[in-house]
Amino acid sequence: MTVGIEPHRTASADLHPVRHLDAFVVMARRSVIGFFRQPASWIFGAAFPLLIAAVSASAFARATSLQDFPDSRSFLQFLLAGTILQGTLFGSINASTDLALDIENGFMDRLLASPVSRVSILVSRLAGAATYGAGVTLFYVVVFRLFGAPVEGGIPGIVVMVVLAMVMAIGVGGYGAAVGLRTGSAEAVGNSFPLLFILLFISSAFFPVELMSGAYRRVAELNPITYVIDACRHQVLEGFSLGEAVVGLLVAVAFAASTIAFALLQLRRKLADVS
Amino acid sequence: MTATPVTTSTERAAPRSVPLFPVIVELVQRNMLAITRVPAAVGPILVMPIFFMIAFAGSYSAITAIPGFPTDNIYNWFVPYACIQGAAFGGIGIGFGTARDLENGFYDRLLLAPAGRRALVLGPLGTSLVRSTFPLVTVLPLGIVLGADWPGFTGLAMLILTGGIFACCTGLWALGVVYRLRNQRSLGLVQVGIFATLFLSIGQVPLAVMEGWLHGAARFNPTTNLLRMARQGFLDDGVTWTLTWPGLVASAAMLAGLGLFALTGLRRLDD
Repeated sequence: MTVGIEPHRTASADLHPVRHLDAFVVMARRSVIGFFRQPASWIFGAAFPLLIAAVSASAFARATSLQDFPDSRSFLQFLLAGTILQGTLFGSINASTDLALDIENGFMDRLLASPVSRVSILVSRLAGAATYGAGVTLFYVVVFRLFGAPVEGGIPGIVVMVVLAMVMAIGVGGYGAAVGLRTGSAEAVGNSFPLLFILLFISSAFFPVELMSGAYRRVAELNPITYVIDACRHQVLEGFSLGEAVVGLLVAVAFAASTIAFALLQLRRKLADVS
Repeated sequence: MTATPVTTSTERAAPRSVPLFPVIVELVQRNMLAITRVPAAVGPILVMPIFFMIAFAGSYSAITAIPGFPTDNIYNWFVPYACIQGAAFGGIGIGFGTARDLENGFYDRLLLAPAGRRALVLGPLGTSLVRSTFPLVTVLPLGIVLGADWPGFTGLAMLILTGGIFACCTGLWALGVVYRLRNQRSLGLVQVGIFATLFLSIGQVPLAVMEGWLHGAARFNPTTNLLRMARQGFLDDGVTWTLTWPGLVASAAMLAGLGLFALTGLRRLDD
């Protein structure tokens, strides 16, 4: 049974680098098209954060007058960064559900038998999530702008937020892919969503960490999502900052690299089980 | 020609011959047994309210400093809210059970049974009443350990009463939707409806602190009066008739409206 793995490695190594890129692009395009062909799976994920933002902006409007609250035009402007991350998380989980469906319907086996690197198979599948992350960021920026919550960092600030959202989408997609590869079940990927929601809630997404207290504050300060949100928030509230962008990007890349490594580990285990 | 009238009269006569209460008890027992057989279904009822209590109280602990906030203890505000949210999950749970029965055909047998149709609604409601107490035994003690004040026996009674009423309301809403759409996917719509109702109320902040469109929506949302009734034991003024009667009126209106929604949905199953 190990025959199925060894020839794959040989064939993959013999493949010209350009062909690797071609294969990656083709699979990434399939991922993007597949993702956007199912609007039912992501429209709710894009709209729900807007509903939460609309409610919170009215409910907590007076919180901006609290001592230590970051300088902002409104609570809505404060919420933009958290809303982007929220929308990205919701959509990315749906994208990784597609990977689990590939496993369920056997398409993944065909990909693994093909002479394409496993990293490409995995990362290209997350292209839909990354594209969605970029799209939903721009969508929220426009909607918030219409309601009087602009990005003070202008175009460079928006670019930073788009990049951060794309990397985080790949990171969350990697986590979903790991769950999908581990369980082979699209339902299990969907059920893993509450963990992400908890991670998002115990961060600076909905309220400033400076105004939290006790153990909850300490956990929120250590949460990697807080660093990414704060990097985005700086672009929104104070203007473009390369330093903040780099910090956020480093954390996001580390998060994405760790989840993809975890997913590759699950893929290797899956192949070992098969052999 | 005579066959159809004879069958109809038999079906109509049957409910009179089978007492309603034992059927309701049997259905409650069956639903509770299903909970013990699917422990994963209990998780959301117990864990999610605890998470929401900790998350809301942790994130928004500073909002008690906003002028007009009725307490300086954030747990007094969010513990009853988390209990009511937990009770709502009980209502969603009976929706899942009924949808599963409809999908696998078991509900057809219930419809053919010589029991009154009302038992098919009251049985699940009895289950949601029992399930509404689950978060009370987890969230409330933990909330008090974390810093919430003891609401007193009258305040506790108000919380239990409101939790039971809200569980029945969400249960009726879930049954009404499930009877119409007849599958488990419809529970997404049920959840959205319940969360929207809670979000557009005084769940997170009181009316005095709200601004803009939400203030208007929360003011006319009957859930606002239910939450006022549930919270009063935790707030400084204690339990008063002034805050109780609007809650009871809102409860009666919600139960009547959603009861009609569920019963008309059940009637559609016969079509």
